[in-house]
Amino acid sequence: MSSARPQRTDAALSASEPEADTPPRRGARVEARELCRRFGRHVALDGVSLAIEPGETFGLLGANGAGKTTFIRLVTGYLLPTSGRVAVDGLSPDTDAQAVHARLGFVPETSRLYPDLRVRSFLRFCGGVRGMRGEALEEAVERVIARMALRAVADRLIGNLSKGYQQRVSLAQGFLHDPALLIVDEPTSGLDPRQRAEVRSILAEVRGRRTVLLCTHDLLEARELAQRVGILSRGRLVAVGPAEEVLGGENPLDLFRSEELS
Amino acid sequence: MTPLLALVRKELLVLFGSPVAYLTLALIGTVTALLFFDHLRIYNQILFLYTTTVMGGFDSGTIPDYVSVRDTVFLPVMEQLALTLVGLIPLATMRVFAEERLRGTDELLFTSQLSPAQIVGGKFLATFVFVSLLLGVSFVYPATSVLRAGLGIEHLLAVYLGLFVLGLGLASIGLACSAFTTSQLVAAVSAYAVAFVLYDFGWANSFVGESVAVVLDRLSLHPRFAGFAEGVVSLADLVYFAALCSACAVLARLSLDWLRIR
Repeated sequence: MSSARPQRTDAALSASEPEADTPPRRGARVEARELCRRFGRHVALDGVSLAIEPGETFGLLGANGAGKTTFIRLVTGYLLPTSGRVAVDGLSPDTDAQAVHARLGFVPETSRLYPDLRVRSFLRFCGGVRGMRGEALEEAVERVIARMALRAVADRLIGNLSKGYQQRVSLAQGFLHDPALLIVDEPTSGLDPRQRAEVRSILAEVRGRRTVLLCTHDLLEARELAQRVGILSRGRLVAVGPAEEVLGGENPLDLFRSEELS
Repeated sequence: MTPLLALVRKELLVLFGSPVAYLTLALIGTVTALLFFDHLRIYNQILFLYTTTVMGGFDSGTIPDYVSVRDTVFLPVMEQLALTLVGLIPLATMRVFAEERLRGTDELLFTSQLSPAQIVGGKFLATFVFVSLLLGVSFVYPATSVLRAGLGIEHLLAVYLGLFVLGLGLASIGLACSAFTTSQLVAAVSAYAVAFVLYDFGWANSFVGESVAVVLDRLSLHPRFAGFAEGVVSLADLVYFAALCSACAVLARLSLDWLRIR
């Protein structure tokens, strides 16, 4: 077990009232209270309480099947909780879906793209379904193409791109509307070291300016990018605290063993 | 571009990014041409027999009414074109929801400004555009037969309205089947099963009572289309197809809720 004493997660979370529909400038606040999600008899998340502050980069770590993706899906509103509550800036992803989605940029794993679309068409589509149009849409598309260094492949089919480029396309659509909350799921999974470094540098650029929820099982990545981290194990949040503190022990891999912490 | 139109555009881009759309369009063009020329050949043969061998001349006035372009060419081609739609439309609808769900790209849609109802509406709308294209490709030969034989444009429009609403009904069945699975094969097979069973319940008449047979007949697709084929546009038939499309759209919409709470 780590020598650092991770802060337990049952600390009281402050209540927040719903705010105006306009996304805040610095980032969104994410709050989960006693969040539970079951799939039949399987408990994917068990009483997770967590608050992520505006502008914070928060790393959610855990082994495969720990509940990271389920947590993301509850925040985005893709799934509904069995019990408990989740809110973005005090707004429910279920009942205030459009207001939450206006604040949200979601970068799924690489394969969740349309291989039959060209990069520019895909980005136009992503902007279009987020309510962007006309010149603003074209400007945003060109901006992310330049930012993610996609100019050379902008008119190629996504299915013909390398995994590294596909991940950049995925990041580009997440950044397209300059969201207050960026949720990134396994951003460097399956990439080579150079591609990983590129993706990490892109994520590092937004640190402090936007709220980032980074889901990963890469401890190095979490330590490099996140200010605070939470460890999920078998659906329970077993540790949360500053990244250096939680991951700075002699053997941080022990944190993935929930039995030793609970 | 509104989010809904962006989705419709993307659906059409993805559809025409795969060979399925082109194959389906080529198939309906080929089938219509083959059906038309085959029935025209039969008509010419019958006409030849009457005018040369049996009655001894064109002006004898002895050619029976049923040996006409309307009854020998136009109506049989339209009947078989309707059946061809049953065979072709599930090929175009099978991927619409199933592929999205299999690739996980549905999460991109759910985190956009589109509501679940708009997601369903956009996909239905794009598919309806494709059905219109299918019918457009098939239009030239029946139109020729009607205009050359002097049957009247009203009859042609009535039949094509019938084919159009039948196509929308079949597409809706296919989309509803696609919405409940991640397998395109399952979506296609289930759509074929439902469409063929629903096409004409006449086969069940010998197994059920008279009153049930009447109800089954009223639920069948083919008797509803038959009215249009005769050139009769009935409000009841239009309401039937509108109700079928609506019921399928509601089912598809419910499938999205089912995904979130399962």
